[in-house]
Amino acid sequence: MTQYYELYRTSTLGMALTDSLDELIQAGHITPQLAIRVLGQFDRSISDALANRVRSRATIKGSLQTYRFCDDVWTFIIKNPNFKFEHDNVTADKVKIVACNARRPGES
Amino acid sequence: MNFGQPAPSYPAQNMRVQTPAIPTPNPTQELSLPSKAPEATETHGIAGIVPTLQNIVATVNLDCRLDLKTIALHARNAEYNPKRFAAVIMRIREPKTTALIFASGKMVVTGAKSEDDSKLAARKYARIVQKLGFPAKFTDFKIQNIVGSCDVKFPIRLEGLNSSHEKFSSYEPELFPGLIYRMRDPKVVLLIFVSGKIVLTGAKVRAQIYLAFETIYPVLAQFRKL
Repeated sequence: MTQYYELYRTSTLGMALTDSLDELIQAGHITPQLAIRVLGQFDRSISDALANRVRSRATIKGSLQTYRFCDDVWTFIIKNPNFKFEHDNVTADKVKIVACNARRPGES
Repeated sequence: MNFGQPAPSYPAQNMRVQTPAIPTPNPTQELSLPSKAPEATETHGIAGIVPTLQNIVATVNLDCRLDLKTIALHARNAEYNPKRFAAVIMRIREPKTTALIFASGKMVVTGAKSEDDSKLAARKYARIVQKLGFPAKFTDFKIQNIVGSCDVKFPIRLEGLNSSHEKFSSYEPELFPGLIYRMRDPKVVLLIFVSGKIVLTGAKVRAQIYLAFETIYPVLAQFRKL
């Protein structure tokens, strides 16, 4: 079985899903095993969705404050980033970007 | 901790503030600073031209084994890709330099524009490594190479220079557009371009760069393209 990144579990969507699953477990509606399977499916689906279904584009501009590369993961901290989406602009003080290989090492 | 005199003001710059989960043995080693600033060699140049130092490469031995992954994970502006290269590549902004840090504790610092900057940068890297919990010392600091450049502001007949200094020079325009001049004394290599731009490399001390330029200048003037 191919492995999928679990990093999207900490996204807003992933956190919401995790919270809901927790509630369902607490209430006794589902088993923890089922919740784990759901999260596994989430990892797979979001990676597929981001790869194949997202058509919109964005550009990010700012000054690079810190970078790191270790274990095939790049981490960038960008100061005063400006996100340019199709219709609007969003700015922030800082943003952290974590980037992994699109294909996991060893994955076919 | 005591690191001797002019404490570089922000060695913590490359550090994650989080208290590391790694052991923090008290580094007993002092990083004492040099007292002398390399005397700004009294050169007024020749024809009012003084080569500018462009790069200084130095090595230093931190004299302790290093866990490169720990360094890569905890220091800022570090790259570690053991599949590609067996060292952590780290950069600081002031003095703007790059260091290669090896597991053996040996380190190469490149990119500094002066001897003082090179040493200061090397100390800052050593401090970063120390702050990550390694008992790093600061031993055997040595400048390995100095690169300078300048512009004589007149074009040069490389062919002529090559044929009359064939013992020292090599000019293969199909391979490289510059003439490579291997000066014997001082032992410096010069890249001489038609445009009059000169690169001097291979020196261990800045005086060798200056001396090499003073030595070559009359030769360049002789082969000035009219």
